[in-house]
Amino acid sequence: MFLRLVADSFGRRPRHKLLTGAALALGMAVATAALSVALDVGDRLAKEFRSLGANLLVTPQADSLPLEIGGVDYRPVNSGAYLPEADLGKLKTIFWHNNIVGFAPVLEVPVGFAPLEAPADTQTGLFHTPATRVVIGRTTLIGTWANHLVSVPDGSRFLTGADKTNGWWKVDGRWFTDGAKECILGRSFARSAGLKLGDTLQIESPKPGILLTVTGILTSGGAEDNAIVAPLAVAQKLADKPGVYRQLSVSALTKPEDAFAKRDPQRMSAAEFERWSCSPYVSSIAYSIKQVLPGADVRVIRRVAEGEGQILTRVRMLLWLVTGAALLAAALAVGASSAASVIERRMEIGLMKALGAGSGTVGFLLAAEQLLLAFVGGGAGYALGIILARLLGEGIFGAAPEPSLIVFLVVIALATGVTLLGSAIPLRRASRYKPAPILRGE
Amino acid sequence: MAAHRTSNRAMFWRIIRRLFGANPGRLFVMLLALGAGAAVTAALLNLEVDAKRRLTTEFRAFGANIVVAPVGSTSLGDNSTTLQEQVVARTIRDVGNPSTVAAPFLFFVTGLQRGADSLIPERRKQVQVVGAGTELGAALHLLIPGWGASQLGIWDEDIPAKGYCFVGAKVAEQLQIHDGDVVELIYGAHVERLKNIRNISTGGDEDSQVFIELRTAQQLTNMNGRASLTEISYTGTPQEIMRFRSELAAKLPDAEVRPIRQFTEGEAKIYNRISGLLTATVAIVLVLTGLCVMAAMTNVAMERKNDVGLMKAIGGSVRRVLRLFLAEAALLGLAGGMIGGAAGIFLSIGLGKAVFGVAARPRLIVYPIAVALTIIVAILSAYPLRRLASIRPASVFRGEA
Repeated sequence: MFLRLVADSFGRRPRHKLLTGAALALGMAVATAALSVALDVGDRLAKEFRSLGANLLVTPQADSLPLEIGGVDYRPVNSGAYLPEADLGKLKTIFWHNNIVGFAPVLEVPVGFAPLEAPADTQTGLFHTPATRVVIGRTTLIGTWANHLVSVPDGSRFLTGADKTNGWWKVDGRWFTDGAKECILGRSFARSAGLKLGDTLQIESPKPGILLTVTGILTSGGAEDNAIVAPLAVAQKLADKPGVYRQLSVSALTKPEDAFAKRDPQRMSAAEFERWSCSPYVSSIAYSIKQVLPGADVRVIRRVAEGEGQILTRVRMLLWLVTGAALLAAALAVGASSAASVIERRMEIGLMKALGAGSGTVGFLLAAEQLLLAFVGGGAGYALGIILARLLGEGIFGAAPEPSLIVFLVVIALATGVTLLGSAIPLRRASRYKPAPILRGE
Repeated sequence: MAAHRTSNRAMFWRIIRRLFGANPGRLFVMLLALGAGAAVTAALLNLEVDAKRRLTTEFRAFGANIVVAPVGSTSLGDNSTTLQEQVVARTIRDVGNPSTVAAPFLFFVTGLQRGADSLIPERRKQVQVVGAGTELGAALHLLIPGWGASQLGIWDEDIPAKGYCFVGAKVAEQLQIHDGDVVELIYGAHVERLKNIRNISTGGDEDSQVFIELRTAQQLTNMNGRASLTEISYTGTPQEIMRFRSELAAKLPDAEVRPIRQFTEGEAKIYNRISGLLTATVAIVLVLTGLCVMAAMTNVAMERKNDVGLMKAIGGSVRRVLRLFLAEAALLGLAGGMIGGAAGIFLSIGLGKAVFGVAARPRLIVYPIAVALTIIVAILSAYPLRRLASIRPASVFRGEA
């Protein structure tokens, strides 16, 4: 009988049920879409922020102070310490290895250069008679990786380089091939030296000269605009420092730092330290990098890390508030709709009570109807919301958020809660109705 | 005729009044749904405009985004690669907005050692470092934007910074310099005794530099009125930043005005993503909320079958009956929109304060928009009553249909 009453109510007033269901579904679609986006946005934006480049800088601990002005180091070449290139694979073995999106070692060498019209001895790349060429100027040669496959100790390989850590570098032409006798030239340097794509350049350091072919012109907006960027191996050969680098930029996905993250790890208790090192704070990533690179000093690039943290926190909060507002509006509208549907059924309620139904039975019957609607409407709304969130994610970040079970549960719970709450208030009033005046139409 | 029309109109409003008064529960429910929609519309529209503007300010957490340097500057030490610092500063003030922060830097290589603690001569370690003469207060805003006065106990930004310096963290580590220590700057035959306000750690080149007052640096190096470069933090959307840059470049022909691409590029990209995300989310939320409210309202409106049937039975034409209900809906929309819109604007002020720490500036244009949208939604949701034109009054009263 109970089921028959419920089924009859749906069958007799299909349009009403459809509209209440539609209101529910739309409201829950808003909730789903907003929740999915808000849950997903932190990770997506953190990736976007990596376009700002490295947020960690690794230098040798024993290094002398760099005397660098405008990208030119005024230290004597041989002063200062270096770090071994061979250790770099270990970066992908730390606890947060999946958060390390890229790294690039740098070795800078002051060099003299002379343009060469016709490539002479390209087979060996070595130029044995430097006296015949006049060095026309001096600049810095920055040795780094463009796109380098690093062997990780666990047997895998990881592709990284300046292309990943310095996303804002714009190269007209193409990057040099790591290991080849090629280079890219800073824009200002290329202009002042009168060099262009495809030219060959003789590089002089105290060591025998090397011939490099220009494969690209670099616009960086920084000191690199006045420098030559070449493979790390070339710089090592010129500096006579095989297998080492001087500075390493690391770009890592991090969690915005809160008050807890800013505490000194040395003064934490064991449990706190555990929690700290198990959160991808920039400082805990720096700490674990230090563990695998002996003799290295790892510093957080504050501008990047803090700016990123601040903006991420703000945006995430903003989206949560938008989500909250959306949930509130959906809840009120849906609640109003269910309240209305109960208010309008006074006649029916009166009739049922006149026939001897108790307030509990009537309430139970109406609640069952509302619950059924909540599940159907909530489910449909969830599906619609997921599609919308997908469209949104793909349109803006090029990747759709993963449908999450939590969102589904929250949405169904919300739908149930809102419809029940919406009907509860008029139902309470309905329980006080006396059947006779209602049936008389008063 | 006129009297007839007047009495007609009076009757119309009387019916409307009665419609509202008849069922306070229903009235409340409708106002709640419409008001909620209006509140969210107003709050989100207001917040969206404000959040985008606020974001550009947040991006200044990255510090400087534009550098003014002499054309082709690479080395130091001669006037050809420095700029007239006053001219640059004045031009920036002319072109920039009030929130623009600019700091000139004059770089030089100098010796540095710890100040003597006692009168007894002792061997002190001396290192070569890069000194930077600058306006300490402005420079600090650019280098470590998160720092405020609270981190700088002993120094007030407003007092002249002569005799003070900031020491980079790496330098401090090598020379064992602590906050508040005295250091000695040795440039040629000059020795300048300075008090270290605080060690600064930026993670960049600044960690191995020493920052002193620009005038002192100019006197030491004998380069009065010159600066190696000027760093600027300009607040604005990516387009505004580019416009500022080109205006500045046009006014400073002998300088190169270049964006710090690391930040300008990244900012532009992130700004576009965030503002796109915000606009899209707000649009989706608004459309769905509108539809949701509309469905809820239509549901309520459809319950009015009995009223329509009665009005038709006593001779009301479909048009007049419909007009009555549309007028009722419009009035409800107006009331719901006005209450909800006001609530929404206050909500957005609170939200803006919660997110950005600064109350969102209420935009009055948002209010009429929210009210108008609510009225439209209300009218549209009453429109399905038109379908009731086809019902036969008799069948309604018999309880059929």
